[in-house]
Order: sequence, then structure tokens, then C-alpha cells
Amino acid sequence: MEYILHLFIFIVFYTLLAQSLNVSAGLTGLISLAHAGFYGIGAYTTAILSQQFHFPLWINLPIAMVVCLFVSLVVSLIALRTVNDYFIICTLGIQVVIFSLMNNWMGLTKGPLGISGIASVSLFGITFDHKISFLLLSLLFMVIVWYALNNLFNSAFGKTLLAISEDEIYAESIGKNVYQSKVVSFAISAVVAAIPGALYAHYISYIDPSSFTVTESIFILSIVIIGGMGNLTGSFLASTLMVVLPEILRFVGTPNNIAANVRQMIYGAILVLVMMSGSKGLGQFFTKMKSRIISSN
Amino acid sequence: MTQLIANIFITTLFYLLLANSFSLIYYPTKFFHIAHAVVITSAAYLTFLFANQLSLPFAVAVSAAIVGAVCIGLLCEILFYRPMRKRNAPALAYLIASIGLYTVLQNCISLLFGDDMKIIRTGQVTVGHEIFGAYISTIQITTMLVSVLLFIGINLFLQFTSVGKSVRAVSSNPNLCDIYGINSSRIILIAFGIGSALAALAGILSAMDTNLTPTFGFNLLLYGVVAMIVGGLGSTRGLVAGALLVATAQHLAAYYIDTKWMNGVTYIILILFLIWKPLGFSGVRLRKVEI
Repeated sequence: MEYILHLFIFIVFYTLLAQSLNVSAGLTGLISLAHAGFYGIGAYTTAILSQQFHFPLWINLPIAMVVCLFVSLVVSLIALRTVNDYFIICTLGIQVVIFSLMNNWMGLTKGPLGISGIASVSLFGITFDHKISFLLLSLLFMVIVWYALNNLFNSAFGKTLLAISEDEIYAESIGKNVYQSKVVSFAISAVVAAIPGALYAHYISYIDPSSFTVTESIFILSIVIIGGMGNLTGSFLASTLMVVLPEILRFVGTPNNIAANVRQMIYGAILVLVMMSGSKGLGQFFTKMKSRIISSN
Repeated sequence: MTQLIANIFITTLFYLLLANSFSLIYYPTKFFHIAHAVVITSAAYLTFLFANQLSLPFAVAVSAAIVGAVCIGLLCEILFYRPMRKRNAPALAYLIASIGLYTVLQNCISLLFGDDMKIIRTGQVTVGHEIFGAYISTIQITTMLVSVLLFIGINLFLQFTSVGKSVRAVSSNPNLCDIYGINSSRIILIAFGIGSALAALAGILSAMDTNLTPTFGFNLLLYGVVAMIVGGLGSTRGLVAGALLVATAQHLAAYYIDTKWMNGVTYIILILFLIWKPLGFSGVRLRKVEI
């Protein structure tokens, strides 16, 4: 039971990560490989504040979000000078720089040793140290984020972002401020990524740089792509699939060290297949199924 | 100090080889073939397999490894990129598919050989030759010779042979080439073959100089990519300058700060270049659209 709850919590984390990346990658077309970096910045800010100053989540989270906002503004100043392939390579570079800061800045992050002893979340005297209560808490965050992002996607600003991803020059020509909109969408992505970061730090109570590598960035991006670009429901479905699928391997009896490789091979292969078939991802498939069921009724 | 200069020199030539192998594929296809990293890694692992585990003669092992690695590069093109090109996939789809391919293939290598460090045995370890007060190993001398010869060779090939000219033609306009009867698909395949062979050599040389892990190709590839972007696209002199800058910065960082910051420094160079000199040394435009 504990184990299943643990999986659910991770589904929520990855849903939050994928949905936040969906704002910049899916909606605006800014495919970023630095997302695990922002996730990590959120987690590290929380961990340091919690361990050094014993702050609770309710103070850590806003601070982590502000830190992510500042970093993302700096990053977007750099990365948004480039387009398409170069944007991806540039964000990849930023991811490596963020990772090497986490891994090497011994004074602040303790390097590869990581930070341990992060307190669990408590509010009004209730401690969220049990898995069920923590799951409910993170579900609450997921619902809020989902609702907020859904509104964003359907807002006028969301339509502007969609227009930018489809035809940047046209969007510019009808008077939209393309650069500013890109910066805002990139910042929203980064700020929302701080939420799962902070939750992760409090939940696991120990973080080290190995959770925030390039591979993790690729994993989050593949969830977005598998779920469908710009599709929030798809991101949720894909996170569920990508978290549950490798666990099936565990039941089949694959040893742990092989399971990690096989997990990566699975998402790599799905990524290739989705790109080769040019499909719009799980979300689209789900909508199609739903409309078919409704029409058959 | 002479040692430092010698090291910078060797690394520059090595990165030049990497940048050369990557750019040969990048020019005609116009996408970042990330799975190229696996070609680098697999060549080294195949050498390890043939030379150490099957104990074949070293020359046979190396040639077989290069052939194997080239096959991987060609299969990537034939099985994945070519069908996508037929379907007119959007430009970013190639990059993402190649990231997926890289993930799959790299984990195959991890599964087959394990994640631990491997060393290709080549006789006893020697101190190296002393040249102007700097110690340089035989492998490093080989690396320098191979890099220089191949760099000159590839440039002559691109300038003077008809296939080389076709590669440049496809790089500048694939549609026009098809109209003029140059089979762009075949030319791209040739570029993949030569590029993969260069990458395989680079992988083997690097693995013999240091050691090999399943992910070492990725870092090497990215150094090559950074050298290419910093140098500016489509310029031979730019490539040399880019490789020199990356190698110098890395060695100075390792010497004056710490080796662990080498990666960070490399990407900071890339980022600085994208801010202040987004067109690289050569000044060829890299933005797709300019308003």
C-alpha cells in the first residue's frame, strides 16, 4: 500500500513537471532541456532553507518560486536569442551549468553528498509525514496548477503563445510582442517547476544532484511529447504511463540495475516512435476515444 | 607550462576531429544528430570487445570496431531519419528522435557491458616521449597525426572530389540538388558514413588515452558541437578557432580552478558566444528567420 501511494505521489510530481514544461514547450514551442535544472533549483532552495533556517514549506515554496523566476529571467535573456535547434542546445548547456553548480559548489550544496535531514511538511500542527496525507497535499497542488494552467491555455495570452509556436513572424506582424510573451511563458514554466521541486525535497527529505541531470530533463520532455504538445490531460496520462510502466518490470522480476536501463530504453523508444509517426501523443488519442464513446452513445 | 601548452594543442586537434565528424553530418542534414555520441561510444566498446575479450590482433579489432560503428551511424539514417525526411517531419522532430535514439542505444551499451569503467589494454603503460620538456604519450601523438591528416583529407575531399562537391551542394540546397539530378538521399548517407567513421576513430583514440564509460561519448560530442557553434557554421578556419578556444578554456579552467568545472566552463563559453557573437567566428547566420 505504501508502495502504491509512493507511486501516486511520483505521478503527481511528474504531472506537475510535465504540465509546467508544457507551457513553454507545448504551447509556445520553446522546447527546453533545462527543466530538470529548475526542478533542482526549487528542490535545493527548499532543502537549504529547511535545513539551515528550519523554514516550513509555506515559506520555502514562495522563495523557491522567486529564485526560479530570477534564474529563468536570466536564462531567457540568454536562451531566447536563439531559435529552434539552437534553443535546445543552449538550454542543454544551461542544464549542464546548473548541474555542475549543484555538483561542485560544495559550500552551498554539499556537492555529490547531497543535503539530508529536510523536515517533513507541517501545517497548523498537522504533520504531513504519512504518505496518504502527503499525497492529498500534492494532489491539491496538482489540481490548483492544472486549473490555473488550463485557464492560461484558454486565455487570450495562451492563444498568443499558440500563435507564436505556429508562426512567429505572423504573430509579430499582428502586433503581438513575441519576445516578451516568450519570456513570460518560459518564466511561468520555471516558476511552476519549483512546486514539484519543493514538494520533492520535503517528501524525500534527502536530495543530491543525481536527480536533476540532463537525463531527467530528457525524461520530462519525453513525457510532454508522449502526452501531446500543449495537452494538459495528455501530460497527466503520460506521467502515469511513464511512472507505472517501469514498475511492471519490477514485478516481472528484472534486477534493479537492469530495470533503470530498461526504463530509459522504453522512453527513448517511445520518443523515437512518436516522432517518426508524427502522432499528437496520448492526449489526442484520449480525446478521440472519448468523442467516439460519446458519439456511439 | 610547456606541458599545459602541449595538452591544449593535443586537445584542440582532438576536438577538431570531433567537430569535423559532427559538422560533416550537420551541414547536409541541418539537424543535431545527438545519436552521434553513441557512434563514438560504440566504436570504443567494440574495440574493447574485440581486442580485450576476444583478443583479436589490435589492427583487426580497430578496423572491425570502426566498421561496426559506421554501420550504427548508417542504420540511424536509413531506419529513422530517412523515413522521417520522406514524411517531411518538422525540423525539431529529428533532434528529439535522435535524443530518443541516443537514450536507447546508450542504455543498450550499458546493458551489454555494464556501467563501470573499462580500459583498453595496449601493452605496458609508458611515461611517454619527452618533447620540449613536455611528456606526450604515443596515443596522443597518434591522435594529433590522425586529426591533422583527416582534417586536411576531409577538406580536400569536400573541395575537389565530385562526391565532396555534392555534399557541399546538398548542404546549401537539397531541393535544387534533386532537380539537378544529385541524389541528395545518397549524398546524406555518404556524409553519415564518413562522419561516423571519423567519430569512431575519435572514440577509440579517446578511450585508449583515458578510459571508457557508456556515457563518455555524449560529453565528447557536446564539446565538438560547442566548438562547431563557437567557430561558426560552414567555415573551416572557424572550426579550428572554435576547437582551440574550447580546448584552451578547458585546460586553463582545469589548471587554475579545478578539473570538475571543465564542463561548466565549456557551456559558459557557448552561452557567452550565443549572447555576444551569435554568428560564431565565421559570421555565418544561424537564425532561421531574420525579420
